[in-house]
Amino acid sequence: MLTKIAGGDIIDPVNGRLGKGDLWISDDKIVAAPAAGAADRTFDAAGCIVMAGAIDIHSHIGGGNVNTARLLLPEQHAAHQARPATTPLSNAGWSTFQTGCLYAKMGFTTVVEPAMSPGAALHTHLELADIPIIDKATLAILGNDDFLLSMIRDDASSQMIEDYVAWTVASTRALGVKVINAGAAAAFKENVRTFSLDDVVPSYGVSSRKIVKTLQAAVASLGVPHPLHVHCNNLGSPGSADTAAATIAAAEGLPLHLAHLQFYGYGTEGKRRFSSAAARLAELVNATPEVTIDIGQVMFGQTVTVSSDVMRQFSARGSAQPKKSVIHDGDGNGGGIVPYRYGKDFYGTMQWAIGLELFLLIDDPWRVFFTTDHPNGAPFTAYPALFELLMSREARTEMMAGLPKSAMALSTLAAVDREYTFEEIAVMTRAAPAKLLGLTDRGHLGAGAIADIAVYRREDNIAKMLGQAAYVFKDGDLVVQDGEITHYRWGKALRLNPSPDKAMLRRLVDYHQQRYGLSLDWFNFPDSAIAREQPFGEVACRT
Amino acid sequence: MAVAWIGNRETLVERAAAHAAALLWSSRCPVFSLDTDIHGTRAAIALAERVGAAYDHANGAAVSREVALFTDKGAMTVAPGETRRRADVVVIVGELLQIHHEFVGELAETVPDLSAKNQREIFLVGSNETSAPRLSNGRTATLLSCGEAGLGATLAALRAQWRGRQTSQPVSNFDDFAKALAAAHFPVFLFSGDATEGLALEMLQGLISDLNRKSRASGLHLPASENGWGSALASTWMTGFPLRTGFARGFPEFDPWRYDVARMIAAGEADLHLRISSSTVQPQKKRNRMALIALAKTQQPVAGAAVTIAIGDAGVDHQAVVYSSRTGSLRSVEARAASELPSAATVIRLVASHVSAEAALPC
Repeated sequence: MLTKIAGGDIIDPVNGRLGKGDLWISDDKIVAAPAAGAADRTFDAAGCIVMAGAIDIHSHIGGGNVNTARLLLPEQHAAHQARPATTPLSNAGWSTFQTGCLYAKMGFTTVVEPAMSPGAALHTHLELADIPIIDKATLAILGNDDFLLSMIRDDASSQMIEDYVAWTVASTRALGVKVINAGAAAAFKENVRTFSLDDVVPSYGVSSRKIVKTLQAAVASLGVPHPLHVHCNNLGSPGSADTAAATIAAAEGLPLHLAHLQFYGYGTEGKRRFSSAAARLAELVNATPEVTIDIGQVMFGQTVTVSSDVMRQFSARGSAQPKKSVIHDGDGNGGGIVPYRYGKDFYGTMQWAIGLELFLLIDDPWRVFFTTDHPNGAPFTAYPALFELLMSREARTEMMAGLPKSAMALSTLAAVDREYTFEEIAVMTRAAPAKLLGLTDRGHLGAGAIADIAVYRREDNIAKMLGQAAYVFKDGDLVVQDGEITHYRWGKALRLNPSPDKAMLRRLVDYHQQRYGLSLDWFNFPDSAIAREQPFGEVACRT
Repeated sequence: MAVAWIGNRETLVERAAAHAAALLWSSRCPVFSLDTDIHGTRAAIALAERVGAAYDHANGAAVSREVALFTDKGAMTVAPGETRRRADVVVIVGELLQIHHEFVGELAETVPDLSAKNQREIFLVGSNETSAPRLSNGRTATLLSCGEAGLGATLAALRAQWRGRQTSQPVSNFDDFAKALAAAHFPVFLFSGDATEGLALEMLQGLISDLNRKSRASGLHLPASENGWGSALASTWMTGFPLRTGFARGFPEFDPWRYDVARMIAAGEADLHLRISSSTVQPQKKRNRMALIALAKTQQPVAGAAVTIAIGDAGVDHQAVVYSSRTGSLRSVEARAASELPSAATVIRLVASHVSAEAALPC
């Protein structure tokens, strides 16, 4: 079927296409305008902007820890019941079904769950498979697991480490690798309570830095398109900017992605010894081209923090609101679930301002990614409001007027004039994520790309415009019209499929039998376990 | 082999499914009780949404106690693999189900390879009557008991004594326990909601929390029902809520009292009961003329059921995904003795296909 999206303002930075024009779709692909022949259906996009479907590189949408958060907080899920829109929690998208629908309504068509515990890969993929409409992907967590730490301790060859990383990525159907507070979860099991980049995991004698560098090299050598995704040490601590700065310096020319940098943007100035170090970090990022970051923006209101940084979450238990939490020591990382409310107090305001400063002070939209670290900084349903803050200085000024002056005095936000353009938004939320993840078939509107398209009707209210797309197409199917879901479909989980090394497989079979008393079969699963047609889509490693 | 019946009359599966759908569609208050695998649960919840049903596990009370620990209080937990590899002190809290005894035996036979201590001590919190898993090599768990006191009171006394407080009755062998804890690097408490009341589970978490002030400790959840916990997880991701959720008003509502299916049946609220369990279950007493649809592994119609459809056993007759307490996560299991019997999910989807609806079924 031939579809024409007619007369919209096309914003496609990858192909240099900016301005009024038509976009053509044949079945599930974008095609060049046909020389002859009429469209089977035409959508009038006059007065609209037309972009590729958006891609979220870091949003906790499924898996063991996310589900435990749902279990811990049935009251949060009251959001799904029919109730006035302004009541607390009314915007927290929470079930798998809601997650897909709410993302699609905003024009997002691919979302990455960035923290899949390898042992819970089947659980994670079953949840992702129940998220309708959008495509998904996962990053497998390594760096606190005994097998890897033992190999590093024993000076295993880089080839062996790569074989293990390749096996993990292939068997868990991941699109990349993440390391979360490298070594800290293992150290926490031995009662260590704080852990920095050069601290050493007691029983292994391996530093956090060594773990990060080892995985960074393995990921690069394997040709995994997405650089190692790093959740640094000391998340949320005053002075954590030093840790982030040290980690940025540790990139040393090889690609490295730092997750939710906002949570490390904290200095120690002022009488509360908590201040913005965003300008310093932004300068470092600007000067380090091999580093990419996402923000993890904080927005005010109730949320729940969900993290595999079990040490950090344990230390945050006291600030739980409501007062309950789950701390799980897993086979590698485990995780912690701590509900939290970001208030418009000094600390909440600092966090809010630091995130925006990072967005606005990092110059290159190809290296800064749009996230709230859902649900840690805010539910992803806060994205429309966040777009408005980035695109309108006036909206920021209005917001700042109601926030504590003591906090704003320690931030440079008020002095920043920059407003994101639609073209920059298209880079940050479409083109750059596709490039970062190695997804050549999306993030742009060139011929041959899959027809993931978001059409937004122009209006002054940016949050409304980007929160309720006029049309969204997924693989050429019209799924959203005028902000409402019109068609359910099932996306795929995008994965890499490197060939596992047979010798490594034998080692892992022995390891699981000896250490866990179980055959490796207990941890593997066939695609048919997902019980959907074509649950996975394969992405190629770089050669 | 017959696989479907309407009343006592043998029929085609298709007809039985259509009849079940008609009963569900005309029901005012349908309730489902589940004892099935993950895909069976997913299909049942999708059907429940379509017909406005409430659902619960077949052993709803025990699963509900475990769910309530998380919804009301939170917890510190540890993976079974880490327990095997790290726990130098293992404390069995109350009676554990038979299905967990093999793992406890394994803990007794092995030593923690990730612990500097390289040995494992085992304690049992309970009374003289508490039946403990059989341990190999003639080992016995050291009993921590407060005589006739219940499990909750014993745990409270244990917690109080550990904090150096007075108790009306001391816990037996407390000094051994205190000595073991003082030397331990990672004690783990094995717990289940099967025979342990909610307050005792909370008290246990309080004790674990106290221990974590200065050292490490955690709890290993060994669920009262593996199917039950698997269903609770699937329900939680699909609707945001665990079991005891209902769609009576067209959207999911979680209410552990209102949607206690056993209570709804006993109180005469439910007028239709869909029971999904591969095991053969005894008919439940009912107060009104509630109809029963039974999906069970059976060669004959279930007594009193309006519709019976035979289903296979997950992991025996067909491939399945189930919760495994041995890994603490979901696991794919191949059919041990593959048969023609359909899975619960297949049959439920067939029933759902006969229920009119505007939207396609999500599962």
